[in-house]
Amino acid sequence: MSDVSFGQYYPANSFAHRMDPRTKLVFLVVYIVGIFLATTFWALGVCALALLTCVLFSRVPFGKILKSIKGILFLLIFTALLNIFFYSPKEGETALWAWQFIEIYRGGLVSAGFLIIRLFLLVMGSSLLTLTTTPVSLTDGIESLLTPLKWIKIPVHDIALIMSIALRFIPILTDETSRIMNAQKARGADFETGGLIKRVRAIVPILIPLLISAFRRADELGDAMDARCYAGSKTRTKYKKLRFTWRDLLGALFMLAFLGGVIALKIALAPIL
Amino acid sequence: MEDDVAFGPENIGVPRAEIGERITFALDAVGMSEYRHSTPTRLSGGQKQRIAIAGALALKPRLLILDESTAMLDPLGRKEVMDVVLRLNKEEKMTVLLITHFPEEAMLADRAVVMHEGKIVLEGEPKSVLSDEARLREYSLVLPFSYRICRELARGGLPVEDRMDADALADEILAKIQKNKGAGIDTGHIVARSFPIKADEEGGRVLAENVTHVYNPASPFETYALRGASLEIACGDFFGIIGYTGSGKSTFVQHLNALIKLPTAEKKYRPKKGKKTQSAEETHLTVAGFDLTDKRADFRALRKNVGMVFQYPEYQLFAETVFEDVAFGLKNFSEQPLTDSQVKEAVRSAIEMVGLSYEEIKDCSPFELSGGQKRRVAIAGVIVTKPQILVLDEPAAGLDPLGKTEIMELLHKLHREWCKTVVIVSHDMDEIAENCTKAAAFSEGKVVAFGTPKELFGSQTAVQQMGLDMPFSAKLTYALERRGVLISSDLSTPDLVRAVLEYAKTAGAGMQLTGGDDNV
Repeated sequence: MSDVSFGQYYPANSFAHRMDPRTKLVFLVVYIVGIFLATTFWALGVCALALLTCVLFSRVPFGKILKSIKGILFLLIFTALLNIFFYSPKEGETALWAWQFIEIYRGGLVSAGFLIIRLFLLVMGSSLLTLTTTPVSLTDGIESLLTPLKWIKIPVHDIALIMSIALRFIPILTDETSRIMNAQKARGADFETGGLIKRVRAIVPILIPLLISAFRRADELGDAMDARCYAGSKTRTKYKKLRFTWRDLLGALFMLAFLGGVIALKIALAPIL
Repeated sequence: MEDDVAFGPENIGVPRAEIGERITFALDAVGMSEYRHSTPTRLSGGQKQRIAIAGALALKPRLLILDESTAMLDPLGRKEVMDVVLRLNKEEKMTVLLITHFPEEAMLADRAVVMHEGKIVLEGEPKSVLSDEARLREYSLVLPFSYRICRELARGGLPVEDRMDADALADEILAKIQKNKGAGIDTGHIVARSFPIKADEEGGRVLAENVTHVYNPASPFETYALRGASLEIACGDFFGIIGYTGSGKSTFVQHLNALIKLPTAEKKYRPKKGKKTQSAEETHLTVAGFDLTDKRADFRALRKNVGMVFQYPEYQLFAETVFEDVAFGLKNFSEQPLTDSQVKEAVRSAIEMVGLSYEEIKDCSPFELSGGQKRRVAIAGVIVTKPQILVLDEPAAGLDPLGKTEIMELLHKLHREWCKTVVIVSHDMDEIAENCTKAAAFSEGKVVAFGTPKELFGSQTAVQQMGLDMPFSAKLTYALERRGVLISSDLSTPDLVRAVLEYAKTAGAGMQLTGGDDNV
């Protein structure tokens, strides 16, 4: 019933859904690098184009992806304002608008706009990954990509398992939270009015039952895993083996083209910042 | 789902090809093959539980242990799971150890033991283990529900055996009447149910007309929880709400104290001028005298007057002491600060009302109490504001049988002495027939049946069509009807027993008069 869109799998059977999670993960990393290499609006345009192509191949409705922005809207606005107000002008640049100590420059607006687009693309791209990849295959992918770290005794498997459990518990705990909130509201608890201290104190009747229930569930999960003979990674086999297909080859080619495009633009055009 | 089932075999190092076979076997065994590739969020409680069993089966165990695996399920889900378990036992020859609170489930076993304080205290065939009422009571257990009806009949001079099957019981009743011819029938021991007669006041009434609620409107996840539900609960009712999981009953109940507000009562709602919808489709919701279609309604005062006890209310306890927890709602709702002695008085009477000792318990941490005590404390925390209407969602769920009986007794006490109207949501049809003056059945977001238990279960088809079970009393009534015997009762145990005994007396006496016939 609750509405948490970030990191929720959108079931479909598209090209993007059927790609190997490792390819998607690597692509995401390359995409993020691309965004940071992009120093012109043209280059950002290439990133946006890449994102759009991926969205088309994922068959996830655009509105669903856009929703992931909602969570960071405040951050977006806040950083944009910081950029506008704390912009240090270049020599000879004149303010577009000034009032008392506040001065707004063209450069500030441009850099704020640039930043917003960057963050926007970043969040949309990452949520596209979680929308097209189930938590299980995502952790499988991460585990597989991090395998080299096992050589330096990093417990990759356990980290991956912890991640997948955490992901699985998010919807359960949000449901639980709204249940407890309702119960306390019915007893007259008020979470919406009052000053900061009052509001923080109002959280206690939610937090404590939630913590207790989280511990109880963790306990139960531990028992359930024990009952099914979980004993770490040593003797485990894997039912689902990740396999690269022609889709991944196409994806890789697309990724290279994208990276090439961004780098070419970087060399060709002067940065606007 | 296959990932989940694969987890066990992966852990014990089964080769990959064999894991696939094991998944096929395990999902087949629980009848969930078609869900192999779906995600768990879309499954019902019973289906999830079956997947969990499949997860255990994939390890190819010879012994399957189920620890209260059906406690949280509705009757439909419970039956689903029990069918699977029985099939595994009979066809796959798997040993099953079932830990349960339901005597009806224990009856399915070949052998049963009763444990008490870490020891096995009773042992043997379930039928004999579950028939010693006095000893069971000692161990917080009760007789299976149908046995209680059998025993009552026996006490009234109709010596029938303990039975679970309504048809078999009907046959035996008729045979005994043939034999005894109404001799020795006595209805003297029956204590009829009685409900307090209350003045009809606004404060105890609920009137809902055409209530609709949509979760996640205008999104791909849009779901209609209520589609125009209409219901009237009169002041003084002990009201039951039934319906399978997802029928909208919980959503409806949350409207009663505005935890879910009607769209017209939302702050941002702006009435559209001149564009009135047809009056036939207009929504009305009046609870305890508050008009909940109006956003200016005093929702605080409403919540004070409509107490709401959620499922497993003990999970909402949070304070350091029982006293603090019970006082939480009281302090939240009071207009002006209460004096210490006022708080103390109110908390004391609420704790004593739920049958606990104030002095013993007030300084305890709520987390060190037993399950039944916690639930009582949680109920005390709701009734402390003296609500006129008390709503409880599955008040007896998860308690042991004696705890269940005691909670129902507590609710009757509250109904007599504390609140005007009591509304319970329940999956247990026997509980509804036994305790409620009136009840309503929800299905697909609507109220599909409404009335006294007798009226509600009067039409066999309507209730069965919804996939709901029948109370045993109704089953017996129908079984007798099929044998040409019409009895009329309100479907509670005392009244049913009275009706059967009275029939036995008159019919038996009739046989005496026309006697000799059956000596042929």
